[in-house]
Amino acid sequence: MTGDVFHPEQLSRCISCGFCLPACPTYALTGDEASSPRGRITLMRALQDGVLPPDDATLAEQASSCLGCRACEPVCPAGVEYGSLLEQWRVHQWRGRRRPVPARLLMLVAERRRLLRLLGLLRRAAAGASPSAEVPTSAPSADGAPRAAGVQLLLGCFERGLFPAVSRAAQVLDPALTAPAAQGCCGALHAHNGDLAGGERMAHRLGAELPGTIVTTSGGCAAHLAAVLGRDRVRELSQWLTGRAPAGELRVDGRRARVTLQDSCHLRNGLGVYAEPRALLRSVAHYVELPSAATCCGAAGTYSLLRPRESRRILAAKIDEIEAAGVDYVVTVNPGCLRQLRTGLRRRRSTVRAVHLAELLVRVTSPSG
Amino acid sequence: MTLSVPLLAELRGIVGAPRVHDADGDLVAYSRDATPLFTHAPDAVVFPADTAEVAAVLAWATRHRVPVVPRGAGSNLCAATVPLRGGVVLVLTRLDRILEVSADELLARVQPGVTAAALADAAAARGLLWAPDPGSRTVATVGGTIATCAGGLRGLKYGVTRNHVLGLEAVLPTGEVIRTGGRLWKDVAGYDLTRLLTGSEGTLAVLTEATVALLPAPESGNTGVAYFRTLADAGAAVAAVIRAGVLPATLEFLDRACIDAVEDFAHLGLRADAGGLLLFGDDGPPDLVARHLDRIGTACVDAGAIEVTTARAVAQAEALLAARRCTLPALSRRGGVTILEDATVPRPRIADMVDRIEAIAARHDVRIATFGHAGDGNLHPTCVLDSTEDTDEVRRAEAAFADIFAAALDLGGTITGEHGVGAAKLPFLGARLGADHLALLRRIKAAFDPAGILNPGKLGS
Repeated sequence: MTGDVFHPEQLSRCISCGFCLPACPTYALTGDEASSPRGRITLMRALQDGVLPPDDATLAEQASSCLGCRACEPVCPAGVEYGSLLEQWRVHQWRGRRRPVPARLLMLVAERRRLLRLLGLLRRAAAGASPSAEVPTSAPSADGAPRAAGVQLLLGCFERGLFPAVSRAAQVLDPALTAPAAQGCCGALHAHNGDLAGGERMAHRLGAELPGTIVTTSGGCAAHLAAVLGRDRVRELSQWLTGRAPAGELRVDGRRARVTLQDSCHLRNGLGVYAEPRALLRSVAHYVELPSAATCCGAAGTYSLLRPRESRRILAAKIDEIEAAGVDYVVTVNPGCLRQLRTGLRRRRSTVRAVHLAELLVRVTSPSG
Repeated sequence: MTLSVPLLAELRGIVGAPRVHDADGDLVAYSRDATPLFTHAPDAVVFPADTAEVAAVLAWATRHRVPVVPRGAGSNLCAATVPLRGGVVLVLTRLDRILEVSADELLARVQPGVTAAALADAAAARGLLWAPDPGSRTVATVGGTIATCAGGLRGLKYGVTRNHVLGLEAVLPTGEVIRTGGRLWKDVAGYDLTRLLTGSEGTLAVLTEATVALLPAPESGNTGVAYFRTLADAGAAVAAVIRAGVLPATLEFLDRACIDAVEDFAHLGLRADAGGLLLFGDDGPPDLVARHLDRIGTACVDAGAIEVTTARAVAQAEALLAARRCTLPALSRRGGVTILEDATVPRPRIADMVDRIEAIAARHDVRIATFGHAGDGNLHPTCVLDSTEDTDEVRRAEAAFADIFAAALDLGGTITGEHGVGAAKLPFLGARLGADHLALLRRIKAAFDPAGILNPGKLGS
């Protein structure tokens, strides 16, 4: 009897109605109950009750093959907190040395604050030296602008290393956002990869480093921080910019640009934020909704590294849709999705560009200009 | 039982090794359906891809006396797909093609793994309606819908699944493939096996294809809500609505506890002070729908409704219906275990039945919330428990349900209106049918399934 892997009241919420099945991307891939949210909860119960041994192979496989996208949550009439149950499950499955090596390495990097800062600086220098710098150099200077008290921009561990232009763009959009260089990782990476306690600790520490409202350009970070620090402490960028889209429009080849949005799963399914980024995009471009905008792109945090085969299958269908939509840009609100879509589009030699919402909005040219 | 290595090897030879799952965890995942309190693991889970594979698996099972439990999405509420005696769970969701939608003939041919919602969408795309509308339509497969003769929210005007099935392809437990009915609206050649198999709960044959009747889609539809002081008042209003000369497409009711649960999930702004509500709806040409809704509303006011409102937009009407479909799972917000039943009485006896359910709940000291298809006399009294660990509470709930079944029979009703018998209601079937009728069911079962391998321990056992 394992007994204490899960909070019993969270586990007992599920009545196995199966309303989650059509929402689950991995069930769509396999058609196997074991890789559906309902089936996984049946497996969790078997673990909790000792029906299956702690090292059962199906338990290990299903805890790993779940994207953790939480698409099952908004469709669950019973209000099962699946994302939270999955975090608890992975604490058990990926305890000690059972945690996959790539996840361990990433977590180590995310804990090294100086390294993150250095990576960001290197990327920044490289981007600045390149003529294809993502942010227009004519961006208005933030100097002299009044700084809102207690509103700070989270740079994000992953984003800092890979996409430093995103946070710069966010600061161009709202010069009142301060971004202290001394800030760590929010811990979402840890919470989703079997170190729930570590993930919560890191979120609390970050909360102390960035007092007041934390604005983030990452849907994943937003959902994790909101879960640990409370919703009132956190605003994802599109929420923060609501009603403040830059004046003007984005033009491509002399016409209004056609853009689409790939939702951030945790932003949409965890925080219920999906109307906000769409409203911003509609105000500056011609917006096209992807049929599967709300469905995971296969990035899913570390998933694209740990389960590359499944991740690529999910991504391939997504890229098909994006190409069929006839858009100029696919916009993301999370750095993991950005990396995944850029990889997929590049592999396909697509002309569609994947950009972060902040990067897209700073390209808007004013009607007078 | 467990399957020997040579038996498993034969099975793998039929469908291919990747389509036979027998790891412990995989078996656990298929050890239950949407019915609480029934769990048993199979010995293998098999995913056939076509009729020939289904036939070969069944012939193998009859040869070796291995129980086979056919399964769609596993969303049934009578433990019809729990493999109580082990054996093979035969998952039919890979047979998921819509083979044909014909607007000229008003029919569709589908494989059993297509979901009810997918068939409805495909029909709608051609301006047609697939009428059966079970609450689980986004999940439930057409095969499972037919196997359980599912009802749903449109039963009053459109009937239930059996009224819309024209023909079936089915594999007998001995491996022969039969076709019943077909594309004809009139065909009396032979016993009506289409109707016999519809609602046979996977105990007589495995359905591998269905030809179903479609209707021209109604031009429009709308929905309204009438609030009452008590659920019994709402039940009494049903007769008044029917007397008003309207046959509504939808006539559902919810008690206070169900209203709260639905409101928690769907945030529709339902009144918090009503003891019960009637959700009514109709479809057809817009002016006719408006006139019918008006007449239903007036009948409700005359019957004592404290307020009547109609949906102002299609989206709002859809939201009301969607929320009603989620009532059962939403109720589990009140406690971790929901045991629901399906007692059905003649329409004029609904208010009596509601009163009896309340008395029974009080007598056994259990929380029972009631919702259901008022227009069909079909109630879903649902017992909400904190957990199954309180065995005394579970026992009291079971005693209460035994009384509810007895009350329904006493009022000229039945033990299950639409969920089915499965394993859950088998102990009560004799009280509804009598010994001679039960014996005949067993003889019919034996004629189809001489080895008794198909879904043993359920209907027909």
